[in-house]
Amino acid sequence: MAGDRVILEAERLVKTYANGVVALDDVSFTIHDGITGLLGENGAGKSTVIKILLGLVRPTSGRATVLGQDVSADLAARARIGYMPEHDCLPSQVSAAEFLTHMAEVSGLPPAVARTRAADTLRHAGLFEERYRAIGGYSTGMKQRVKLCQALVHDPAFVFLDEPTAGLDPVGREEMLALIRKTHREFGISVLMSSHLMADVERTCDRILVVQGGRLVHAGEVGHFTRETETVFLEVDGDREALLAALARRGVAVTTDGAGLVLAGADQTLYDHVRDAVVEAGAPLRRLAPRRRALTELFERGAA
Amino acid sequence: MTGTVFDIGYQHYAGVREGRARALGALVADGVRTALGLGRGARAKLLPWAFVALLSGIALVMALVAGAANRLGGPGTAERTNLPSHGDYYGIAAVILFVFGALVAPELLCRDRREGVLQLYLVRPITGSDYVVARYVACLAVLTGAAWLPQLILFVGLSMGDPTPGAYLRDHWLDVPRLLLAGVTMAAYVTSLALLVASFTTRRAYAAVFLVGLFVITTPLTVGIAEELPGALGQWVSMGNLAAIPVHVNDVIFGEVSELTEDAPARTLPGAVRVGWYLAWTVGAAAILWARHRRVRP
Repeated sequence: MAGDRVILEAERLVKTYANGVVALDDVSFTIHDGITGLLGENGAGKSTVIKILLGLVRPTSGRATVLGQDVSADLAARARIGYMPEHDCLPSQVSAAEFLTHMAEVSGLPPAVARTRAADTLRHAGLFEERYRAIGGYSTGMKQRVKLCQALVHDPAFVFLDEPTAGLDPVGREEMLALIRKTHREFGISVLMSSHLMADVERTCDRILVVQGGRLVHAGEVGHFTRETETVFLEVDGDREALLAALARRGVAVTTDGAGLVLAGADQTLYDHVRDAVVEAGAPLRRLAPRRRALTELFERGAA
Repeated sequence: MTGTVFDIGYQHYAGVREGRARALGALVADGVRTALGLGRGARAKLLPWAFVALLSGIALVMALVAGAANRLGGPGTAERTNLPSHGDYYGIAAVILFVFGALVAPELLCRDRREGVLQLYLVRPITGSDYVVARYVACLAVLTGAAWLPQLILFVGLSMGDPTPGAYLRDHWLDVPRLLLAGVTMAAYVTSLALLVASFTTRRAYAAVFLVGLFVITTPLTVGIAEELPGALGQWVSMGNLAAIPVHVNDVIFGEVSELTEDAPARTLPGAVRVGWYLAWTVGAAAILWARHRRVRP
């Protein structure tokens, strides 16, 4: 479960590329022990955040520390960090066991320990039986699990997962999300997982950071975020205008969505207001369902 | 006999983390294994070992011919009849060593970038410079081995082929440090140039073809032009023959002219100039390679 130990701190990060593109604009946040989701559309700045935190890109201004150390200045700190990139990063010719052993050694582990840990990590990821097969012959889901294994094989305190479910079918996605939850809850390794899939983040993460256009637009517990983004979808037969007026009199914020209405909030009072307004307008209720704001709506709101 | 397997769950590692030194060692070892196709399928082993066999085979034939001459004509016949020996070997086999380097170097650099493995290295406790230095050492080790092995086979063959092996060893022991130095010289030159070219592309085939072309084309081009030009100009054009540059140093080391350089106008240049020219190419290429990787980003 999520803890209070600070794993990572970013202070006023700004990254402006040579072509003038501002990838990050004054972004500050703190990540605690647990699984944190980094949510944003493509190009929002998620990968730039991760690259700065990994020490691969220097921020134009600001400072980031992982486990209390500036990773770009202290190479040794990287031995306690794992990284699973979004794109392909696996050699096709070698076996998973050989590749993981090698990556563990590159992270500083002695050869005998590296071999043992490679086999153990593959076992935890359900790849033990396949460990001596060349990675080039693996399915997409298996390759994705090998990518996660190489991030874990040296027993890091913290891992960055960049779009871990990208390209996976529903079954593979479920397995990957389960493995990510296991990484924290059973292995005790904190996770920062970037995604543009809100459902993945909601189901897996304890906390969430939302970036949009290089700015941080939300940071907090997933539960708060979920409550904040919840809405009620309402569809009625009959006089919709009368219903809108009745809802307005009760102070309910309403937006139209095709034939239906979207009401902000999802607490009991809102449902009471809906019941009273439907009765007052004499409009037969056709559909009433809780819903979540779409990611795009959320970003539009954040940008505004 | 029965037993029970217990899943003891995830185990944290509390031991020593050996950091950058271990990482560099692992990268060098992996580079050697990659270059020789070890831990890979049969196809990956085929070419490197075929080249090692070819290079060794040439030396074996040279040793057998010299041995037969000495047995039939008496001690020292091979030397008197000027049969090819250690000083001639790299002149004969240089092109094969270049092609071998053109296959090995792209395997070490291009694949890591093309398959994305480089980004995994760069988030570990090493820098881009560490990475390329480790790959350089691995390539150098493989090419040095490939350069030394035939010369050692030749040395053993010549010793055993001589009617008085003891006398041969006493008279020719200086060939050992010379052949070792000449082997490293050849390997360092090929490593620097081949890795530099490989660092410009993610496609192994492009790098290999370009390198082979570079070594093969500069030979007739420079030989042809150098013959037409008089004096120092011809000598310097002759120094542009990329395949001959390390062989000139080989000539300096053994104090004789090999088959590849016997007609090159550059052979008459002072030894220091030929060595300096070799160092400029070898160290220059290595420096550019290092600079390109100093700030490499995935």
